[in-house]
Amino acid sequence: MDKEYKSHYYSHVVRIAFFLVIGGVLAVVARGLFLPDTMGQYGHYRGSNIEEQKNVEVRNHTNESCYECHRPIRLIHKAGVHQTVSCEFCHGPYADHIQDGKYVEKLPVKRDMEIKALCLRCHNKVIRARPEDSIKMVAMPQHLEEKKVQTDHNCNQCHMVHDPLLWIKAAREMMGLPMKEDKK
Amino acid sequence: MSVAAHGDTAAAVANYIFPNDLHVHWSLMIVLYPYITGIVAGAFIVSSLYHVFHIKELKPISRFSLLFALAFLICATWPLLNHLGHPERAMSMMLTPNPTSAMAGFGYIYSAYMIVLLLEILFLYRPTVVALKEQASGFMRTVYGILSVGSDNVSEKALKLDHKIISFLAAIGIPMACVLHGYVGFIFGGIKANPLWATPLMPLIFLLSACVSGIAGIILAYTLIMKFTGQPLDVNCIRTCVKFLWGFFILDFVFEMLELFSHFYMATHHWHTLETLYSGPLYVSFWVLQVGVFSVIPFFVLMALSLINWNDKVIAFFAPLVSVMILCQVLLMRWNVVVGGQLMSKSERGATTFHPQWLEKEGILPAIIIMVAPLVILWILGKVLPFWQKDDPAAQQVG
Amino acid sequence: MIDIKKEIQKDRRAFIKNVLGGTIAGSLLLVIPAGAALDSKLPEQLPGMRGDDSVFTEKKFVFIVDVTACIGCGSCCVADKNEYNVPDGNYRTWVERYIIDDHDEVFVDSPNGGLDGYTEPRTDIPFPVRDTFFVPKLCNMCEKPSCVQVCPVGATYKTEDGFILIDKDRCVGCGYCIQACPYSVRYLNPLTRTADKCTWCYHRVRKGLLPACVNVCPVHARKFGDLNDKTSEVYRLLREPHVISVLKPGMGNKPALHYLGLRREVV
Repeated sequence: MDKEYKSHYYSHVVRIAFFLVIGGVLAVVARGLFLPDTMGQYGHYRGSNIEEQKNVEVRNHTNESCYECHRPIRLIHKAGVHQTVSCEFCHGPYADHIQDGKYVEKLPVKRDMEIKALCLRCHNKVIRARPEDSIKMVAMPQHLEEKKVQTDHNCNQCHMVHDPLLWIKAAREMMGLPMKEDKK
Repeated sequence: MSVAAHGDTAAAVANYIFPNDLHVHWSLMIVLYPYITGIVAGAFIVSSLYHVFHIKELKPISRFSLLFALAFLICATWPLLNHLGHPERAMSMMLTPNPTSAMAGFGYIYSAYMIVLLLEILFLYRPTVVALKEQASGFMRTVYGILSVGSDNVSEKALKLDHKIISFLAAIGIPMACVLHGYVGFIFGGIKANPLWATPLMPLIFLLSACVSGIAGIILAYTLIMKFTGQPLDVNCIRTCVKFLWGFFILDFVFEMLELFSHFYMATHHWHTLETLYSGPLYVSFWVLQVGVFSVIPFFVLMALSLINWNDKVIAFFAPLVSVMILCQVLLMRWNVVVGGQLMSKSERGATTFHPQWLEKEGILPAIIIMVAPLVILWILGKVLPFWQKDDPAAQQVG
Repeated sequence: MIDIKKEIQKDRRAFIKNVLGGTIAGSLLLVIPAGAALDSKLPEQLPGMRGDDSVFTEKKFVFIVDVTACIGCGSCCVADKNEYNVPDGNYRTWVERYIIDDHDEVFVDSPNGGLDGYTEPRTDIPFPVRDTFFVPKLCNMCEKPSCVQVCPVGATYKTEDGFILIDKDRCVGCGYCIQACPYSVRYLNPLTRTADKCTWCYHRVRKGLLPACVNVCPVHARKFGDLNDKTSEVYRLLREPHVISVLKPGMGNKPALHYLGLRREVV
């Protein structure tokens, strides 16, 4: 070939190599610019996330937090067999009620048959899988028939929800009936 | 069953599904991702068969298959980006790749492969581009100027250098194509929690099905383009393609069945969960469609096409037809692996169902758009770079 | 006895009087502003955690679920949903009901993850029931977590004190960790579009509180504590000859979540 070319026979290779190197350098620079600050501080993750994780809002408190204000119920709830039942299980999370120590909103109080539904979540005998020794099980409506009350009776007509045996014991005492031995 | 329906999924096999397992997280987009990368890897290997292994019959499609691979490679990330909860954070994969994550390598493997493919196309088309630049004017002249990297030197010395570089790129391109797709198989094969995925054969099966889908894609595209542009078909080239397709498909199909048979024969508790899957939710899509219709029939058609000396018309008719079936087989295989693997709950006691919707974010319509996009890109590429030697003003100079 | 009862009766009357005094007045009476430093009024359920500002604690926390004690009430699920406002249909923790009939057939269900309790008996058991029990599930906090292994961007990680956490500002939402978790405790949070899961209430633990689910469990089926503390209940349980196992031990993930009285049928 006798034709004269403007470029060297290798000039395009040199240019491509040059672009590749520039691209590589840019990639390294971009990495330096965009790498999260605390990445790799403790491991292959953003170290500052640990602090963020610590600061997630605590929404459920403990029964003790509720007792701080709700003193009367504390005496009843803590004395009865329901002492291990969480206030927030039935009433909702503390954080919906109190924010930064200030009252925000009233928590729902369960009424009517909602109460029965809650009771039966733990005490329903028809659901067979229960360690029966740790909890008193009842079959409905046999329990009501057995106790000779109307079958449309709600649980809290006999059982004080915070201490289910409170009124039962009081009634027995009034009637002069012997106290049943507690299971536990 | 007590588990409530959730979106487009519902409990299929009775007993128990973990409550978080009702939803199929990897749906159509993740079916398409290995499908598209598979076509890329397969098409590249077709090109390499000519450039590296000097299968002369494949010369007519050697450059086309590279552009074909490029068109699909450009779209390979689209289904992934559409799938991500936070596509704007996608670059984190390259910024902070987790060395222990199979997925983290994708950004780098993809980029490296893209560079190799682009370079190979640039070098291969350089004499063509230089010649086209002379004929072009205006905008296209600028485009060809960029593509020629500002060089007009097509002397023997320059072409010899180019040829060396092309051979090198094609040679490293083969292992890279294998890595790209074997690696995609490993993304699934490395998940021990999923009994359908967790097999060392997964990368191999993915790789072989990639070759199969790539070759079939090339045969189909080549014959269709030739038919619709009224150009003569190089039937000899098609014959060679069909032979390679048959060869790769034998391996692919045999390994797919071997993998299943091994599980069946060893019958560990993994198999008991897979058994309910294959006889239940996957019965139609796996046994009937993937194995029955789209593997067994193409297997014998390919065998007949390869072993018997048919006349050109028969080849030209059956080769694209069988290619369509093979493409369906691979798509079904991706579906049965990706979606099928997720149907089985990790409770090992039940399977969910999955029916893609048309208009959801990762639905059928987006999937069709993503599958049509490479063809549009290929058409645009064809406007800039000629697919065939006879349209090439510099054809005489190319070795 | 009578004295105590009278006290309680008196308090009950006082309580009712307060409420009857008017809802608003009642609420005001009952709700005394507690002041800013509320945290200090919370009991320190985990000794030595208050005031520990170090990045990683020196403790080795384990979680023990007593399968023999769980009554399936779902208090834990309710507390968990409230603590994190978990979107419906996703579960950080859930309770499974196992029923094994006398033909060795195992029936498992978990309607709404046990969030609404188990209100209905199963009617589809063909043979007499041999055994029934509940199994609460939550993050296993693996020593070798698959989720951390596969996360492509390092958004989920294991702290040096054994918690596996998710940086929701870095998670790309690819779902790989969800695929990799052998226990299916992960889900894609539809609100943040990132992976989410139980953290054993890391934020509570660091404040000296028990995880929300442990705190509310009425039958003490969920136990949480420090193995380095030789006086802790968890240490005692792991030292004594109980039937204690982990889920899917064959996965090799080495969970820190242990199950007391776990049956082989549980997956």
